[in-house]
Amino acid sequence: MQSLDPRVNRLPIPESWGELRAKTPLDQLETYEVFHQAKPDKAFEHAGIVHAPNDDMAFLFGKEQYSRRGNTCSGIWTVATHKVMVTPYTEGDTSLYDLFEGEQQHAAQTEAYEIFHLKKRGKQHVHAGTVQASSYDDALAVAQATLNDGKMVYNAWVIKSSDFFKSNAEDVDMWNTLYEKKYREAIDYRAQDKINQFKEEQNLQNHG
Amino acid sequence: MYGGGNTFEAQQMGGVENEDPIKLAEFEARIARGEKIEPNDWMPALYRKQLIRMIEQHAHSEIIGALPEGTWITRAPGFKRKLALMAKVQDEVGHAQLLYSAAETLGKPREKMIDDLLSGKSKYSNIFNYPTFTWADSCFISWLVDAGAIVNQLANSKGSYGPYCRALERICAEESFHLKYGHHCVIHMATGTPRQRKMMQEALNRWWGPMMHFFGPPDKASVHTEILVKWKVKMATNDECRQQFLDMYVPKIWELGLNIPDPNLKKNPETGEWEYTEPDWEEFKRVINGDGPCNAERLAVRRVAEERGAWVRKALLKPEAAYTTPLA
Amino acid sequence: MDNLALKELLYKMADDQLILGHRNSEWTGMGPILEEDIAFSSMAQDKVGQSQQLYILLNQLGEAEPDTVAFMRNAEQFHNCQLVELPNGEYDFSLIRHFLFDHAEWLRFEALSNSSYEPLAQLARKYKGEIKYHLIHANTWIKQLGNANEETLARLKQSLHELAPYALGIFEPSPYETQLISEGIFIGEEALKARWIESVNAILAQTALGAFNWSASNAILGGRQGKHSKHLQPLLDEMSEVFKMDPTADW
Ligand SMILES: [Fe+2]
Ligand SMILES: [Fe+2]
Repeated sequence: MQSLDPRVNRLPIPESWGELRAKTPLDQLETYEVFHQAKPDKAFEHAGIVHAPNDDMAFLFGKEQYSRRGNTCSGIWTVATHKVMVTPYTEGDTSLYDLFEGEQQHAAQTEAYEIFHLKKRGKQHVHAGTVQASSYDDALAVAQATLNDGKMVYNAWVIKSSDFFKSNAEDVDMWNTLYEKKYREAIDYRAQDKINQFKEEQNLQNHG
Repeated sequence: MYGGGNTFEAQQMGGVENEDPIKLAEFEARIARGEKIEPNDWMPALYRKQLIRMIEQHAHSEIIGALPEGTWITRAPGFKRKLALMAKVQDEVGHAQLLYSAAETLGKPREKMIDDLLSGKSKYSNIFNYPTFTWADSCFISWLVDAGAIVNQLANSKGSYGPYCRALERICAEESFHLKYGHHCVIHMATGTPRQRKMMQEALNRWWGPMMHFFGPPDKASVHTEILVKWKVKMATNDECRQQFLDMYVPKIWELGLNIPDPNLKKNPETGEWEYTEPDWEEFKRVINGDGPCNAERLAVRRVAEERGAWVRKALLKPEAAYTTPLA
Repeated sequence: MDNLALKELLYKMADDQLILGHRNSEWTGMGPILEEDIAFSSMAQDKVGQSQQLYILLNQLGEAEPDTVAFMRNAEQFHNCQLVELPNGEYDFSLIRHFLFDHAEWLRFEALSNSSYEPLAQLARKYKGEIKYHLIHANTWIKQLGNANEETLARLKQSLHELAPYALGIFEPSPYETQLISEGIFIGEEALKARWIESVNAILAQTALGAFNWSASNAILGGRQGKHSKHLQPLLDEMSEVFKMDPTADW
């Protein structure tokens, strides 16, 4: 195959393709949920997912897919999708915590859980806080008591802190040069002057 | 990038006769209230199927769309253009990733979608089956094909499916860079040396037809369309998108002294509508069905990329890891 | 200060980064996994962006504009090591090159962040975080694939074997080594190489590949003096194809 694309001409493209067969099984990696923090005083927000084999690589991938834009980033968290406990969704002016009837366990052995709230349907889940609890249900009960500000919460994600991969505080310098990458921003491509100048010259040619 | 052109409606698919009428009423009421549908919500089978098809095609268009421009990364003139084009094409790959993710929340695994692309079962935007002969072609794509895509994407971002809307919001934010970058390039070509200007005009001549095809054939009303409009899956008709595109960009092309190769193109002052020569819809059909100048090459490149990457993915796979549908 | 020594240093660093960034960008849209495609492109952009900053420093020292320097020279005027100009090969080849080169770059920038030439020291400090990600990326991949299965191991081994002599070419001494060292501009290629061997072997030792015996490899030199493989000139021809249509035009 001769192409106009020099990159394509360097590819080992076969003369003909055998019969195409569907991939079975699919070489499908696990999915990880990625959370992004724009600034140190802002809450982590759900940004999206990546496909990855483990936490380390989920971070490598999540960082570039979800924090290569914007002027700042101060952290990325990732967690395997199957480690997220999702509550039922509520409707209208019923908050999740109006319906939840769990009891706090006050157990001796607790660990940290991260709580994410969906405060508006259609928006992202946002980190509401960290609670100490002995189980997912207990964590939600503690969240009901301590993180419920009375505003609508339509859904919550409850995730063990230890299940996250969290970027280190000393590694925030990885995002230090974001603000410099102006070539990725619309603002760097102003050219109205050139258009105006061109029009002026056209006018001079036509009428001058 | 994305065109309305080949988002075929699901054919031979049941309507809503078999759906639970109470749940269906709740679902429709939610959409009517302007609320988003989330992955866990009940939804009619037709809604799910049509959305998967649409988002998947959109994703394919992004990853295939990375090729005709990607070819110019190694040849972009000067640092500014080189960096911008690298970032722009990277964004398109990123858009594919975001859109596949959104489609995955509806239950179709990404690798299955990619399989369907490679086997030719699933379509992508027709416009990427045309070649980019010169640097000016890549400028045309960055500005005007992306402009067309933005018209579509902005409309769809007001749709009803939450994950798709969120992906589109992110995408549209990045598209504003593509649009400005592309315009910047075209401005420099059109107001530059006679040779640059000629290159730009020739690219415009080559791409105008495919650009008019981009939004798809004139709409015909159908029962399916009606219900998809009601469910906020289809947010604007092909003609509405095409009109909006012409209205926004024809004046910007003309002000650069470039000629659009359609003597009949003008805005009717009475109706406010743009009038134009119908592009060759037979050609459109031919190209969609595989007989375009670059169909074979585009799929071949994706297949080779897939095959060359197979050992990498295989090495990363953990046999015990079960794939989970992403959450939002 | 004699600018010749400094310029030689800046040119080889900038040329390395430009050529490797260019090569790595050829993967954009063709990577093995969508997410990796994106990550690899970011790092290619970083390389090209950093090279541009180094050419700006050169410009301040009286050399031509970055665009002119990057797009108008011929192969024999380039000072990059031959490692960076080799065609991409398969992904194992590109990854091993990325791993070997970026360890050297990380250590070079680390050393330069104390350079007596303050503009360069500033630049090195600024890009520390950027390159840190490159290093984490490279190490994570090499550890992952270096412990995965027989096929990946065989691939990595083969690529490492092929690339080793070229990687040693990174440290081809400059004619100005003693001057650079005595003026506190740079620690010198010999010292850098020693650090690099320790650094790459620390990672390789964590894989089934094991630490590499570098002393058994003969460095392929010449790149720093403009002697290149047959691959560089075609790369430059492609890179400047549009630019050279009219170097005075504003593209
Ligand atoms: Fe896009
Ligand atoms: Fe775009």
